[in-house]
Amino acid sequence: MAVDTLTMTVLVIIYLAATLIIGYLGYKKTKSTEDYLVAGRDSHPVIIALSYGATFISTSAIIGFGGQAANLGMGLIWLTVLNIGVGILLAFVIFGKKTREIGQRLRAVTFPDLMCKIYKSPLMQYIAGFIIVVSMPLYTAAILIGGARFIEPTLGIDYATSLILFALITAVYVVFGGLIAVMYTDAFQGTIMLIGMTVLLALTLIAVGGFTAGSTALTNMAGLVPKALADQGMTGWTAMPSLGSPIWFTVVTTLVLGVGIGVLAQPQLVVRFMTAKDNKSLNRAVLVGGPFILMMTGVAFTVGALSNVYFYQTSGKIAIDAAGGNVDAIMPLFINQAMPDIFVIIFMLTLLAAAMSTLSALYHAMGTALICDLWGRGKECALSMQAHKYGIVIMMVLSTILAFLLPISIIARATAMFMGLCACAFLPAFAVGVYAKVPSTKAALCSMVTGAVVWFAWTAFFHAAEAKPLGLCQAVFGRVTLLGAPWTAVDPIVIALPISLIVMVVMQVQSGKAQPTAVAG
Amino acid sequence: MIFGIPDPQILLGYGLAIGFTLACIVYGLLHWNEENGNGS
Repeated sequence: MAVDTLTMTVLVIIYLAATLIIGYLGYKKTKSTEDYLVAGRDSHPVIIALSYGATFISTSAIIGFGGQAANLGMGLIWLTVLNIGVGILLAFVIFGKKTREIGQRLRAVTFPDLMCKIYKSPLMQYIAGFIIVVSMPLYTAAILIGGARFIEPTLGIDYATSLILFALITAVYVVFGGLIAVMYTDAFQGTIMLIGMTVLLALTLIAVGGFTAGSTALTNMAGLVPKALADQGMTGWTAMPSLGSPIWFTVVTTLVLGVGIGVLAQPQLVVRFMTAKDNKSLNRAVLVGGPFILMMTGVAFTVGALSNVYFYQTSGKIAIDAAGGNVDAIMPLFINQAMPDIFVIIFMLTLLAAAMSTLSALYHAMGTALICDLWGRGKECALSMQAHKYGIVIMMVLSTILAFLLPISIIARATAMFMGLCACAFLPAFAVGVYAKVPSTKAALCSMVTGAVVWFAWTAFFHAAEAKPLGLCQAVFGRVTLLGAPWTAVDPIVIALPISLIVMVVMQVQSGKAQPTAVAG
Repeated sequence: MIFGIPDPQILLGYGLAIGFTLACIVYGLLHWNEENGNGS
């Protein structure tokens, strides 16, 4: 650490105190179950935009994917294109408004509840709730691990204590304040993230002599690309990998498409649309959301790539070598070496804010799914605020246990896996559900199950990055993956999402004479 | 080579990222008071 632990500890305590006070304000405003679940459907546009953005962007996006940009180059800027074009414009304008209108009309309070009411299918709610309760702890555990890994060296607290403290402090304001507290604190944390990333961009450009000078230097470093990466298709940090090469597949299918499209049907983000009072609020949120995401991922990927220039000029090494081969260590190392002490503190708070804002949203989404969509589905008990508090605590405990069981290097992989599964299972049914006049329940159920099953099969038996550590293919078939290159580098979303979409469209067309549903009515 | 970047695919990526951001700003301003839904 470039700054002393005492200073950092004091500032973290001030930050946590401010977060808890803001969470308390949310708690005081929470009077009904609808307040607790959908923030009273009356959120301010800026709160919606910052909450959506801060939930969307976790530590993984800044540290994990920023490190990937340092390793694989500026091609990751295409993920920013999708983050803004799909994650904000398409999400808010095409899906957000319809989701808000239908959610308000049908009084839906969670994503599975929305699907159930659109399709008039309790089974849909059970399946969607089950997928959330089973898969979201994986992503939550990854966020917990990332947060604990940051707290451990920063505050000098051992890893296990860091993880438990991080889980408990975040859970406090989620449990008591519900979604209003979550969104208020998200907005506060989003503001810190915006300040931190703006300063990071400015100081990085100063360090490398400006964008053009830095990019030119980076272009001239193409000959320094490690042989292992060059053999797999990497041609330099300012150029896309060779078309069809293993690295091209990794960058385009896993990092860009997997995460870029996966954001569309994430339950914790869809719920944000249902917190808006009217469509005006969502229109105004777009204005804030686009620049916010550009300043998060666009800056992280640009700074990550340009960090190679800084490391080479100061130590004669490229970023990945300077970080000892650990992609996740590149951004923290760059901050510590290239930035003034005061910014190290700001950036550390930025990371803590990014982790807490995503974590709080996941706790809320998992807890409400457990109570409203599974245990209490269709029962009066699902409307009890107290029951949801228990649900959030249960899911928090399960996620924390999982975080202790998972390997530390799981962060970026778990993020991509969760987003991929959400897109494959939910996106076609969600898209047709909010737009079709007569959406087919049978088509949606088949699409959801097919998407989830194909995603899992490709993950466990074909995609080497997951198949290898899972070991299921090895145990069943005696080999790491069932197919060879390039299929081992093709992300599950590229296979499972089109299949899920085809199932949805074909069955939807076939059911042209189906009974009208709530949406049509 | 523009802005020190030789690959037009990277330049296009930066151009689209900034373009979509501007589109978000313009959309928000143009539709600031528009309530075109039927749910309110």
